[in-house]
Amino acid sequence: MKNKHNHKHISSVTIVSILVVSLLLGSSIASSGSETAKAGEVIYTIADSTGDWGYPSPHGHYPRGPGYVRMSFIFDTLVWKDTQGFVPALATDWEYIEDENAYLFHLRKDVTWHDGEKFTAEDVAFTFDYVKEHPSWWVDLKSVKQVEVLDEYTVKIYLKELYAPFLNDDASTLAILPKHIWQDVKNPSEFVNEEALIGTGPFKLVDYSKTHGTYLYVANEDYYLGKPEIDRLKFVKVSEEMASTALMRGEVNATAIPPETVVEVNGKGFTVINQSGDWNAKLMINHEKEPMSSKEFRHALAYAINRDELVEIAQRGHAIRGSPGLLSPNSPYYNPNIVKYDYNPQRAKDILESQGYQLKEDGYYWKDEEILELELITAPRMGFERVAEIIARQLGEAGIKVSVRSLEWKTLDSRVISQQFDLAISGHGGIGGDPSILNKVILGKFGYSANYTKSESLNQLLEAHLHEMDAEKRKEIVREIQKIYAEELPALTLYYPTWYWGHDGSVDIYYTMGGIARGIPIPLNTLAFMEYKAKVKAPAPTATEAPIPGFEPAISLFVLISVAYLIKRRRKH
Amino acid sequence: MKTAKISTYAIAFLIILSLNFLLPRMMPGDPLTAICGEEALIEMTPELRTELMHRFALDEPLGKQFFVYLTGIVRGDFGYSYYYNAPVLEVVLEALPWTLLLLGSSLILSTLLSIIMGIESGWRRGRNSDKSLLTATMIMNGFPNFFIGIVLLLLFGVYLGFLPLQGAKTPYSGLSGLNLMLDIARHLVLPLTALTLSQIPSSYLLMRNTMITTLKEPFVLTAKAKGLSEASVRYKHAGRNAILPIVTTTGVRVGIIVTGALFIEMIFSYPGVGLLIYNSLLMRDYPILQGAFFIVTVFVIVANFVVDSLYTKIDPRIGIDGVEHAH
Repeated sequence: MKNKHNHKHISSVTIVSILVVSLLLGSSIASSGSETAKAGEVIYTIADSTGDWGYPSPHGHYPRGPGYVRMSFIFDTLVWKDTQGFVPALATDWEYIEDENAYLFHLRKDVTWHDGEKFTAEDVAFTFDYVKEHPSWWVDLKSVKQVEVLDEYTVKIYLKELYAPFLNDDASTLAILPKHIWQDVKNPSEFVNEEALIGTGPFKLVDYSKTHGTYLYVANEDYYLGKPEIDRLKFVKVSEEMASTALMRGEVNATAIPPETVVEVNGKGFTVINQSGDWNAKLMINHEKEPMSSKEFRHALAYAINRDELVEIAQRGHAIRGSPGLLSPNSPYYNPNIVKYDYNPQRAKDILESQGYQLKEDGYYWKDEEILELELITAPRMGFERVAEIIARQLGEAGIKVSVRSLEWKTLDSRVISQQFDLAISGHGGIGGDPSILNKVILGKFGYSANYTKSESLNQLLEAHLHEMDAEKRKEIVREIQKIYAEELPALTLYYPTWYWGHDGSVDIYYTMGGIARGIPIPLNTLAFMEYKAKVKAPAPTATEAPIPGFEPAISLFVLISVAYLIKRRRKH
Repeated sequence: MKTAKISTYAIAFLIILSLNFLLPRMMPGDPLTAICGEEALIEMTPELRTELMHRFALDEPLGKQFFVYLTGIVRGDFGYSYYYNAPVLEVVLEALPWTLLLLGSSLILSTLLSIIMGIESGWRRGRNSDKSLLTATMIMNGFPNFFIGIVLLLLFGVYLGFLPLQGAKTPYSGLSGLNLMLDIARHLVLPLTALTLSQIPSSYLLMRNTMITTLKEPFVLTAKAKGLSEASVRYKHAGRNAILPIVTTTGVRVGIIVTGALFIEMIFSYPGVGLLIYNSLLMRDYPILQGAFFIVTVFVIVANFVVDSLYTKIDPRIGIDGVEHAH
């Protein structure tokens, strides 16, 4: 009788022990031989919380900055940017010919495609024509009239009209395609085989996994600037919450890190770089609806909101206070001489009273027997809900009753676009790049755009700066735009969040001046990966880094002994 | 009777198919806006917009879209993903094995564990071991699965550091064969444990309950009186009879566990269908949502069917038509 009972018992114990032992064995095997790379190869691993950004061909990646960045390791543009501004890429030099309204590009003569074919001016001309025919997410070539091949290594690009953003938005963004491959491609977005990845760039793709969100590149031996010192470049998926841990454990070399972990990461000897002023959180104001349609009323709102408190509390100090002119103090186009709307609740109250509102005992303003009550819609992302709560309280203190409602983000977007709202929290990036973005975020119809076309002078200036080829004069116009925008106040920029990247210093990653290509604020400029420094400082081993010594063997031993004991006991019966 | 059962499945299937089509489209926000999303740098020119509307067939009337969707399913064509820029079937099938691995092993493990725990607990009713097991399970029942997941992740992944933080395998590790399997198993441990732990309490309580009721039955007394071994009475006689409600609820649990996996996959960045559905929801990627929901629907319906059939194996008194046969 006992025997039978024990038999059951032993078999379940055996199963569990086998599981545990194999698991522990597995962990030691997997952590020992984990690289396919040859000895001495330099491997650089970058973490990303989303992982999959699409097939890294110019037409295959998803329409997001990280997708473009993954493509930019394989393809080149005519012009590129570094920390200081424009630098040569496929073009060695370029000039603007005023009389003809054309750009003349002299191309490098030592460039070959990854398949060995020679790169020529024909490829450049082909790319412009191809992208005009097959629209791309990143470039709108409506300003380009015609591309002329002058000789094998010279092209002239004629513009339809004066167009100031051409160099940034087109020449340094458009990835040049090999004509001999793409000329037969009818449907570029579905062209996702190896041929679609033949570029001129510093790296070649070895593997891409949509499911696991990983990319593996190898250095292009024949790159025209020399072979990159990074032999293998990896992108792996690591969730946002685990990114700092993965960096400190040495599993990845670089990653975006949450602001809360900056001090810890820095303390462990890693380099932390930051950037702010590319992205802004905005208070969207429905300027088509009473009472927000009054400019003075919008001013009252701005005076009643303490943006410093939003930075300190909602963003825990990891942000810069918003400028009512939209562009951040970090932008070369920033205008400091605009109306600032420094926090002044009394001023807000004065404006409301001049508009015929009366403060009642309940602490709120009333007009025509009606309480002044607004709805503020927000979405559960990027800490917006906390921002909304604080704004509601601040406006409440100034006598404006505000109810907060949280919606799904896309729902909020469509409500803002169709102007079915009073106030909303939204935001967008791109303001660190070319100021052509202003036209989109002031005039456009998007969930993050002010959608404001009422001011004639603003409309004229927004048109004018696009056609001003003189850089200094253009800057003047953009400054003027900020001034008028701040006075009209169709939306209020609340703050510019600060973003952080941590890395081990082996590659000097940096934020590109005005962002990569059109203005992507990711510090993964291909040029940085040309050079590898021996690790400046090896990550200090910490208690959390390695498994507790002897822990795994101890468990295995314990399990083995228990199994042996039970088997022995069973035999006795 | 058999045809009635099949037609029930067919009707359920059709209703779900229509909902799969309609629900994503009833959500506010259109795919084109979602694709451009918050990326202000993207140039959505009118020409591109028109081209995309046409490519995604969004310019067609809803009725026609539904027709195309239905005929597509018949042909095994689930359309083309807006965001992933690939055939839906390809995207979903790449994610499916990971979900099946996670769900399947969790379903088996949680069912087996709750049956064993329920039998042992019911047998020892009122004793300390029963009481402590019951208390522990009740406490666990109070936690949502993602909470268990986060705790496990912090404890074993971050602090002790001997299990991977996320994903389904080590990227570009160059492992193959047995080592690759072990690597996958190592990645599976935490999400599987979290999902299994959250599944155990309800089945365990049910099993314990039926076990206690069954133990009062006269045939158990007979078995004991015959002088059968304790284990034999416990498992072969009482246990086998008490197992029936568990099998019935397993079919229902498949649906619940699919939902549970969605959160677990998000926490552990496990590349399964749950994570795919979540991302596609954000992108308003109707074709992917339709495809993924379709696969999940088929999965749940098939699982229910299998459970229904298993039922007759376990309890021969019940025929496949659900009618009790006289002995």
